[in-house]
Amino acid sequence: MSKAVTIILQIIGLYLIYLLGTAIQHTFNLFIPGSVIGLILLFLLLSLKLVSERWITEGAGFMITHLPFFFIPATVGVMGYAYVFKGKGILLIFIGLLSTGLVMGISGSVAQRLAGRREKAHE
Amino acid sequence: MNDVLIAVMMIVLTIITYKGATLVYQRFRRMYTAPIILSTVAIIIFLLVCHFSYETYMVGGKWIDHLLGPAVVALAYPLYQYRDILKKMVLPVLTGTFVGAVVGISSGLLLSKWTGFSELIIYSIVPKSVTTPVAMSIAESSGGVMSLAAVFVMIAGIGGVLIHPAVMRVARLQGQIGRGVGMGSASHAIGTATAMERDHLEGSVSTIAMVLSAVIVSILAPGLTLLLL
Repeated sequence: MSKAVTIILQIIGLYLIYLLGTAIQHTFNLFIPGSVIGLILLFLLLSLKLVSERWITEGAGFMITHLPFFFIPATVGVMGYAYVFKGKGILLIFIGLLSTGLVMGISGSVAQRLAGRREKAHE
Repeated sequence: MNDVLIAVMMIVLTIITYKGATLVYQRFRRMYTAPIILSTVAIIIFLLVCHFSYETYMVGGKWIDHLLGPAVVALAYPLYQYRDILKKMVLPVLTGTFVGAVVGISSGLLLSKWTGFSELIIYSIVPKSVTTPVAMSIAESSGGVMSLAAVFVMIAGIGGVLIHPAVMRVARLQGQIGRGVGMGSASHAIGTATAMERDHLEGSVSTIAMVLSAVIVSILAPGLTLLLL
């Protein structure tokens, strides 16, 4: 089987797990999105050896290598909201950036400090 | 033009732009040239110049958007590969993400409150550090605007990718655990995609932080909002 066919078939497999995740979300009325439920589901299936790593290596590898690509339609969506940031609204961009920077710096520092020596052992 | 032609055109546009952005990024390695940022900006400019609406773009874009679900599912694979290292890091990752969730909710809320924005906007900015569908439902249930919440999620995502080299330098985040937690808790899946480009362990940590953050923020947001507003 050619590599492209393998990748496509495996992505279809990932898609089915995503659909299953979405079905679970709707059945139990969960606030966690179907894709994230699918992620947890696939992790469990791999851990329980119900799904072999070999069945998803190429497809998952391909999607992860090109992950930013799949976000482009969503990020292009900001173009419709320029009006929010007119005038005083421009402040909201700075607030968003400042808050994001604080989250990143502080959460990362806490984790890094706690990980401390344990991590160094792996590097 | 018929829809099939537009769809093919928009998909080809996205693929070519992404490919081009990847090449530029490999050449310059600056964060403002990250493929996600460069592609987004280039496509928006193209659409504006050619007078295409976002709806027209999405005739093709929705097919790529459909694949975002399975792409997020695929994150389970590196997570599984690094499970042994990650198991030992449960406490640092969980604590870091929890602190990040509290910082994210309260700083977004307080900063927009102090600058005098309406509650409608404040409620929409509160859940910005989690993945779009979760953020939208948090905003909705507290009285914010869903589409506005999605825009703030994009600011946290794209903005986080843009500022992360500076933030990590200032906060001295050197290891994959600290960097991964920072990316995942601040910039959800968009940050995770960027972390994954650099290092699969960092990306896996970011994946966990992103998932945990979605859960923690949805639980904390209502109470913290009530307390601080």
